[in-house]
Amino acid sequence: MSRRYRDQRKSKGTPGVVFAIVGVALFLCILLAIGGVVALVNSGKQAGPGAASPAIETRNATLTIAYSPEKATLLQGLAEKFNAKNLRTSDRQPIKIELVELKPDEMVEKALAGQADFQALTPDSSLWLDQLNSRYAQAQQTEPGAIPPRLAGEGVRYAVTPIVIAAWETSAKSLGWPAKPVGWTALQTRARQDANFKWNHPSTAHASGLLATLAEFYAGAGVQRGLTAEMAQNPKTLEFVNAVEKTVRFYGESELAVIQQAAKAGAKDLDAFVTPEQLVVAFNTGVFGKPPAKLIALYPAEGTLWADHPLALLETPELTANQRRTFQAFREYLASAEAQKEILRAGYRPADLSLSLAGPDSPLTAANGVDHSQPQTTLQLPPPDVVAVVQNVWAAAKRRTNVILVVDTSGSMKGDKLTNMQTALRAFLAQIPSDQERIGLVEFNSTVTSIIELDTLAKNRGALTREIDGLQANGNTAFLDAVRTAYRRLQQSGDSERINAIVAMTDGRENASRVTLQQLADEMQTGNQKTPIIVFSVAYGSDADMKVLDTLAKASGGQVRVGTPETIRELYKILSSYF
Amino acid sequence: MNLAPILVTLGGGLLALILAIYFWVARGRGGGRTQAVFFTILAAVLLIVAAGLGWQRLGPNAAQQALVAVPRGPVQVRVLAALPIEPWVREAARQFNEKGLRQDGQPIEIQVTAMDGLTALGKFDRDEFGTLPGGKTRDQLTAAERQKLETTFPTVWIPDSRYLVELANAAYKERLSRDVFLTDGEYRAKPIAISLFTWGLYNSRATALEKKSGKIDWQVIHDAAIAKGGWPELGGDPAWGFFKLVVPNPRRNVGGLAAMIAAAGEYYDKPNISVAEVTDPKFQKWLKELMGALTDVSGASAYTAEDFALFGYSVGDGGQLLESDLLNSMAGIQKRWADPLVIRYPKYVTWFDFPFSIWVGPETTAAEKNAALQFQQFLLTPEIQKLAVAQGLRPVNSQVSIKEGDNLFVQWKSQGIEAVVQRTTRMATPSRDVLQALLRWFDLNVGK
Repeated sequence: MSRRYRDQRKSKGTPGVVFAIVGVALFLCILLAIGGVVALVNSGKQAGPGAASPAIETRNATLTIAYSPEKATLLQGLAEKFNAKNLRTSDRQPIKIELVELKPDEMVEKALAGQADFQALTPDSSLWLDQLNSRYAQAQQTEPGAIPPRLAGEGVRYAVTPIVIAAWETSAKSLGWPAKPVGWTALQTRARQDANFKWNHPSTAHASGLLATLAEFYAGAGVQRGLTAEMAQNPKTLEFVNAVEKTVRFYGESELAVIQQAAKAGAKDLDAFVTPEQLVVAFNTGVFGKPPAKLIALYPAEGTLWADHPLALLETPELTANQRRTFQAFREYLASAEAQKEILRAGYRPADLSLSLAGPDSPLTAANGVDHSQPQTTLQLPPPDVVAVVQNVWAAAKRRTNVILVVDTSGSMKGDKLTNMQTALRAFLAQIPSDQERIGLVEFNSTVTSIIELDTLAKNRGALTREIDGLQANGNTAFLDAVRTAYRRLQQSGDSERINAIVAMTDGRENASRVTLQQLADEMQTGNQKTPIIVFSVAYGSDADMKVLDTLAKASGGQVRVGTPETIRELYKILSSYF
Repeated sequence: MNLAPILVTLGGGLLALILAIYFWVARGRGGGRTQAVFFTILAAVLLIVAAGLGWQRLGPNAAQQALVAVPRGPVQVRVLAALPIEPWVREAARQFNEKGLRQDGQPIEIQVTAMDGLTALGKFDRDEFGTLPGGKTRDQLTAAERQKLETTFPTVWIPDSRYLVELANAAYKERLSRDVFLTDGEYRAKPIAISLFTWGLYNSRATALEKKSGKIDWQVIHDAAIAKGGWPELGGDPAWGFFKLVVPNPRRNVGGLAAMIAAAGEYYDKPNISVAEVTDPKFQKWLKELMGALTDVSGASAYTAEDFALFGYSVGDGGQLLESDLLNSMAGIQKRWADPLVIRYPKYVTWFDFPFSIWVGPETTAAEKNAALQFQQFLLTPEIQKLAVAQGLRPVNSQVSIKEGDNLFVQWKSQGIEAVVQRTTRMATPSRDVLQALLRWFDLNVGK
């Protein structure tokens, strides 16, 4: 073959080979590119939309804090201002505080059960942190003498307030204020001697309730310190505590709820109640509306307790280093001049001692019913095991109740309304702590259709549950007749030892009763002079007749509450805490 | 997972390969041999790099590596600081971090966590920080284990007193057969500030007690504690109620243990206390009577001097507390309660020396240890020691004086503060058995 021919053959064949090789290479590149895109898309899908990679979760700097209800306004404001600073950790994670409202005992239970959806907590008192750590240490079976593990870390104080007896100015004077020191003895004596004297304290789930109860046990045991479990369970002590508890009008869900009610009802509801000093200041400065009268903070001569509102981390393995940084940053913010001044304005005593309680910006003044040089002394807080005995003994010694539930099953209650109501009633029964409480039920629509007579829950629970399960909606609304039926049954029992109450619910307008509103109101006002019976009127939805509900509540010294299909269950749980 | 580097390198490699093929083929038509060789080599390099990246990201160990929160940048020194010095150490850490100092080319970050000495000792006892089990090295840890070590294991512990360090060392010697905090050498535990226990009482209360009983000591306090008639019996105001003693809960605050040991020292009139002495029934009866004057035996009170200030005489008339805590509270107490504190020094003095103790085990890296040394040196500088003095602590740097100048020791001299403490007898550090005996007694008799 000639060289020219070979060259021609080469020059004719070579471009084709080159193109073929380039084409194959390009094809491979395209395949790889497609494969890479598919791999990227798949790895994104596996992670899921919005899902953080594990590395980001461990750097999470959002700290959720559980707080007790009475400081909702203060803490929400402080957290908002803190978050507005848009701080970041050294690895650029946003520092943020989120809040969740919980009762202190709920914080403890959730933390111990490992179900806390919060990483820090600020209950109303260090008592709760101590209870939490004490129970945690017991669960770890720490031997006496060994250093126990702790679940709640060191607490930080930013605001404190003493627990006081709040009384209307006229009531305070009738107790001896300001001429002489007033204390638990004066309150207890007056309550036992004067059937018209109305007072309350929350349950021992709240610091103020525990304090009032402790004061009763100290007084009953005849000591001012060194209360032991044996003293707390002594029959003489129990007799005294029973006698005092018989004078409690009702217990109630929290100090905040009581003071809100006081703002509406004034002195008609209660003459005195146990509450933190800060709420007295808030009340007198109009936070809950124009005060109907002035409240005075009485600092018990025998001693009181402080609500010290500690803030503490839950030391769990899931706590990230960044969450610790957030805690530290928030702690420093709470100690800042800006936050401390806000705390003082809200009526608390700030942890910053450089802020004068007597200064022009301080609301802790005689004009607002408080004395910042008080209290002079505190009650001795016993060891945790004695506190636990006091709480348990109180649950047995507390004033018992007769409660009749009045339940509307008119036609408008059909569907979800009735279903949710049934759930709420079951929740109410479940929340009642003792089987010795007496509960009855009156069901109505066009007339009173069914009555479960008052009896102890030990005997009545089955019948009540069956009745609730069998409720059906139809007919009109004979609300007043039903309430009168319940009222007359309680009057006939004449049991003034117990708290007598009606929880009367309706979702509509009264249209079928024989008794009129005025007649019933008059009957109540007369009858209550013999055996006081409180009506808690529940408006279920927006169609309920508020005038009727309000009139009955006022006539009996009770309350009106509003529930919706979504909130009715929670409302009945709250109402159960009054008993 | 980021595949971009792999794809880019691979794409580049393939492009180089195409060009290499082209030039090899074109060479036959008189094209560039040089370009062909160049692109061949380039293609080979890029394809090898792509293969390596792929193996790293997609190979068998890749899944575990995805969990690693790779600490970027700073050498982190995690400091557990006892409560009385934590504010000072934290402020010092803030200033130190601002300086931007480096260790092995990396910036140093000091992180401070407040923790009572006993609480920290308990955590060390239970190995909650997670030491490496015998023989294991950091390289053998899983990613999650290494991450925990690098973010939570303390590099430095500054307890209230060196005896806590000795107790921790004793525990780890049994478990790991080595010291974890050294007592000699470059990394030895070194005091960075000192303070001591003194009596702090409200002036009104101290006046009444001293008038009735003379010099304040544990016996005088005991007699006040058991006075059935309360303050009227002691010459005080009836509104003051009973005598109220402030002693930190020993479960929450090592000062509580120190107070009980100091009480034992005065009871037996000697600075060395044995187990037999703290378990003696007569002493325990005396101690129980004393503790009966605590206002809060629930265990909640760990705040002591802070309690004095926040809650005033309502929770305590007086107690034996750390001088620095009292000094920090003097102004606030005067402002809040209009009744100043007075300070009285006990016969046998208990000192806290806050030793800066670096963890020398493999759980901390050399860089972390050396960075910790830098911070230790910083804490000992005159400027930072003066900061400690401003917070009521006594300096260890002899260049810094507390006898003159505008400091808390001079400011509160009139209230009994002594810049030079005349007492020479120091309470001996208790053995672990004595500590445990007292804690056990407290649990069973007071704070159960």
